[in-house]
Parts: sequence; structure tokens; C-alpha cells
Amino acid sequence: MSTTLVWSTIAIYVVIAIVIAYLSRNGRQNSMSGYFLGERKLNGFVSALSYSATTYSAFMLVGLAGLTYNGGVGALGFEIIYFMGVSLVAIFGPRFWLVGKKYGYVTPSEMLGDRYQNKWVAVVAAVASSLFLIPYSAVQLTGIGYLLQGVTNDAIPYTTGVIIATVLALVFSYIAGIRSVAWTDSLQSLIMIITSTIVVILIVNSLGGVSGFFASIEANDPQALAVPGNGFFNFWTFLGLTIPWFFFSISNPQVSQRLFMPASLKSLRHMLLGFLVFGLIYTVVSVVWGFSASILFPGLENADLATPMLLSSDVVPPILGVIVMVGIMAAAISTIDSILLTLSSLFSRDVYRNVKGEANDRKQLMIGKIVIPIIAVLAFLFAQLELDLIAVLSVASSAGLIVVVPAIIGTFFWKRGTAPGVIVSVTISSILVIYIEATGGLLLGLKSGIWGIIVATFLFIVVSITTQPPEQKANEFIDYVKGRMKNKK
Amino acid sequence: MNQTEKFWGLIILIIVILGYVIPYTFLSDVTKWYGSFLIWSILALITIVANYFLTTDWSDEE
Repeated sequence: MSTTLVWSTIAIYVVIAIVIAYLSRNGRQNSMSGYFLGERKLNGFVSALSYSATTYSAFMLVGLAGLTYNGGVGALGFEIIYFMGVSLVAIFGPRFWLVGKKYGYVTPSEMLGDRYQNKWVAVVAAVASSLFLIPYSAVQLTGIGYLLQGVTNDAIPYTTGVIIATVLALVFSYIAGIRSVAWTDSLQSLIMIITSTIVVILIVNSLGGVSGFFASIEANDPQALAVPGNGFFNFWTFLGLTIPWFFFSISNPQVSQRLFMPASLKSLRHMLLGFLVFGLIYTVVSVVWGFSASILFPGLENADLATPMLLSSDVVPPILGVIVMVGIMAAAISTIDSILLTLSSLFSRDVYRNVKGEANDRKQLMIGKIVIPIIAVLAFLFAQLELDLIAVLSVASSAGLIVVVPAIIGTFFWKRGTAPGVIVSVTISSILVIYIEATGGLLLGLKSGIWGIIVATFLFIVVSITTQPPEQKANEFIDYVKGRMKNKK
Repeated sequence: MNQTEKFWGLIILIIVILGYVIPYTFLSDVTKWYGSFLIWSILALITIVANYFLTTDWSDEE
């Protein structure tokens, strides 16, 4: 792919995205809820596209395509189980939204701290999230570095790609907080879904249409259409991979924080349904992409090269290929900038405010803005290390974030849950997940995510039963939600 | 949880379980497009329908 074409397309994308980010600057950005939640006034359309862009990082078109290339149809199942897990938004979404409005929560860990009436709950949840999310953003940066390096045959060095991504994520976060992120996300989502779908149509046509496409797979590698197929997706691996992702929509703070943002429950509904439609198209596109690469370019040493190979092939016109490539880059950036904002809000709201004592809204916002570049630099440094450790931690990130799920469920459905229960379950299970990931990824044959959810649930229940719950708050909180949910019907 | 949530929540739970069980049992030897590929796609569509009904009465009150 021509380097000039790549640079020109990146330049056009940057200009358009910055203009859109700048235009999104209406409303107040001088408060925590203004800057980090868009004043809780995002409409359903923008929310849906932004939620999609935040969730679907470069992982989909590079990672999922690569997984399909390696393991066949099991990759589709893996992503569909995640997709089914987004239904948790239908149960937890309105509850987050209701209490967010009533109590003014800005972050999910702040909600936990208030509900369990203990500031250390907020601190522990925020620290655990940061621990697992910073490496996750670093992996996105790494992905951009390799992608640009790959499609331009090293003309754009790895570090240049990483620097571009870091700077853009910072700029989008800074211009107008979540508003600019949401609007640039929307632009990126629309471009991606249209261009990647066109690419799939072109590729499938080149293979003789839908029937020719499936006939090619059956002739080429029939096992790719079944699980466990070639053994890549044996049942326990499948279970271990899918369990953490099933809970992704409530365990990942950069995603669950979005449940505070829609203007109304109707907007939240549009966000959910819009995301599901978008997500299904995107999933099928990525999987077909991976299958196509396995037919057209069998025997690749690194499956993550499936996407760059397809984009630079004769089947895809160069201009379309480069748009999708920049789209993948934008997808990764949109995931990083959302994480940057969430992490800085977690730090200023949940760690700084709770540890420091007195910190008004303005001061918290200032701290949050100072922290954004620091987190970006940390992610950048992680990405520069290019260590295996990053891969280890990125796998651990989805498994690690699952440990907060029992506490979140307890927030809305179990009055008996206690702060010591949350602190012990989150702390011990986080350490256990890191230990398992650092020592090979399996304990007694099971992946860290399965251990994470089992141990966190067990500890949360046992420690809660043996300690004193915050009865007054639990009753008020849960009864309020119950009352409001009943009135809706 | 209210009745609508319980009903559609249960449907989704069943869909999730089927998403694990069917491909790894009945369809594990089916190396055709109408095997796991089709069943996961259908289950995904049912998930969208279930979410549609689960959220029909979410109001536009701000």
C-alpha cells in the first residue's frame, strides 16, 4: 500500500475528526458530569454509535479475523456469546441510569462506594480497573503501531504509529471531554461499518458469492465450520474466553460508565438496540473476513496479518483498503480515548477525592485533566516496551475486570452485601487472576476468568454474610430502584 | 425484577445456554454453513428480538 496514500488518508481523517470534536463543544465542560458524562444528555443515536466504537476496538477486524483464521467458526461463537452478554444492559442499564441521576454518580466505582457506604470500596474498585485497563489501552496502541508498519512495509515505523495514536487520543479527550469522544466515535463507527461491509461484499463476490464462499471453506478446511474444529476452540478454552467477555458490558468501567450518559431511558434503549444491530453486522463482517483470508492466503505464520493481507490484496481497491485501515486505527483510538477519560475520572473522583478528603467538583475536574496525559504516557510507555507482558496483561484485563461483577450485581439485588465483602473479593480475586496469567494462564486446567468469577462470588457472599451490611442505604437504594422499575410497567 | 424482565431474561438465559450446548454437541460433526455458523447467527437475532421486547416500555422521561 502506498505510503503517500496512507499518510494522506490519515491527514484527512485527523482534520475531519478534529473539526467534529471541536463542533461538539456545546454545553458546559467545566463540571465533572459535563466533561465526563456529557451532562447526562447524550441522544440514543450518538450513544449507540459511540458505545459501539468504544467496545469494538482494533480487536474485531484484526483480532477476531485472526481468531477465525486460526480457529474457524468458534470465533463467531465467542463473539456471539459476548453479544448475548450485552443483554445485561437491558437489566442493569436502567438501574445504573436511575441511580446515576438520583445520586449524581460519575463513575461506576463511585456508585459502589456509596451503595456499600465505604470510600475504600470506591478506591479498591477504581485501582483494580486502572490496573487492568492501562495495559489494555497499551495493546490498542501496539495494534496501531504494527498495523501502520505492516501495510506500509516499514515505511511508517512502529513508534511513529504509536505516537500518532497517543496524541490523537489525547486531543480528542481534551477538546470537549466525552462529547468530542462520542461524536468522533460516531463518525468512525459509521465509516467503519459502511466501508468494511463493502470490503466483505467485494471479497465474497470474488470467491463466487455466498455459496461459492462457503463451498470454498468446505473444500479448503471443512473443520473450520465446526467446533472444536482443529482443536483451537476446545470447550474449556471457549468457556474460559467467553465468560469474562459475557460480563464485559457491566465489568468494564469505560463501557458501564456510558449507562449514566443517555438523556432518557428511551435514549438508553436506542443505544442498546442500535449497538446490537451494529454489533451483529460487525461480527459477521469480521468473521467472514477471517474465513476469506484463510481461503485466499492459507498458511500465514501470524494470523493477525490476515487483515493487512486482505486490505493490500488485489480484491480490494487501494482507496477502499486505506480507508478501512485508517478506520481500524480510528477504532483503536476511540477505545483508548474512552478509557483515558474513564480512568482519569476514576482517579480524580474515586481515588483523589476519597484519599484527599476535601476536593470540590472543580478541583476534581482539574485533577482529572492533569491525569489524562499521565495515563496516556503510561500507556505509551507500556506500548514501547513491546513486551510479552503486555499480551499477558491484556488477556488478564478482561479476566481481571470480571472480579467486580458480583459486587455490581449485589449493588442492585442483594441487600446483605457489605463493603468488606467487596474489598476482599475484588482484591484477592484480582491478585489470583494476575497470578494465574503470569504463571501460564491456567490453574487446574481452567482459565483465569473462570477462577475470577467463581472466587470473587464466593468471597463476596461469605465475607458479606459474616459482616454488617449498610442496612439503611441498602434499603433506600434497592427500594428506590425497585419502585421506579415497577412504575415503568 | 419485574415480570417482563423475568420472562425475557429467562429467554435470553436459555439462548445463552443453547449457544454453548448445541454447537459443542449436536453440531460438532456438521462441517457445513448450516451448522454452528447458522445456529449462532439465529441465536444472535433472537437476542436482538428479546432485547427489543424487554425494553419496549422504557420512557423518554428525562
